[in-house]
Amino acid sequence: MLYTPGCPECIAAHAKLRSAAQEAVKDLEWREVNVLDHLDHAVELGVMTLPSIVVDGELVFTAMPTAAQLRDALIKRTRGRT
Amino acid sequence: MFTIGRLASLAGVSNDALRYYEQEGLIKPAGRSPAGYRLYDKDSARRIRFIKQAQNCGFTLAEIRELLVLRGRDKACCGDVRSRAIEKKLRIENKIRAMKAMSKALDQLIAECASESRPVKECTIIAALERASVSTPVQ
Repeated sequence: MLYTPGCPECIAAHAKLRSAAQEAVKDLEWREVNVLDHLDHAVELGVMTLPSIVVDGELVFTAMPTAAQLRDALIKRTRGRT
Repeated sequence: MFTIGRLASLAGVSNDALRYYEQEGLIKPAGRSPAGYRLYDKDSARRIRFIKQAQNCGFTLAEIRELLVLRGRDKACCGDVRSRAIEKKLRIENKIRAMKAMSKALDQLIAECASESRPVKECTIIAALERASVSTPVQ
């Protein structure tokens, strides 16, 4: 997840998304990246809004998804691989 | 209170620009004179300074409207504004990247055009554009 450190409400939302993602995919590696520390990479990925979620190098969410949306997207991707 | 002309000269913008800002919901006259002319207060002058500064940083009027809303919202925090500034920077960086790719594509066309004296029908740049095989810029 590419984000910018902001309100405590946002941090709480990140935590919810992280647990949803980790519940959906076993051994998932969750990284929270301050976009300012990796600006060039973010631009390369096409990130223009925050937070954005990148899965396996692909920009998947350009706005904060709900936990259910993230879970569904991750499960769909995992199924697509098997 | 200021008339539109006085405010315009104080802020260094045209009367038309002020009317446009009003139409876009960025400023609002504080009242009207008995003759019906718009009258503005000091807050309008502050808002115009804000709008101009934000425009200098690349914000569009729609984005400035959002910033002005945030500025007046009690629950908003600095992080909300900072996020918008970072998003703006990302969009600008993205445009720079796209423009660099365009410039590179033009370099390729210019390099391929070896002879300037050839008739336009034999122009390699026009031929390349017609083939549409020039590498397209990153979106």
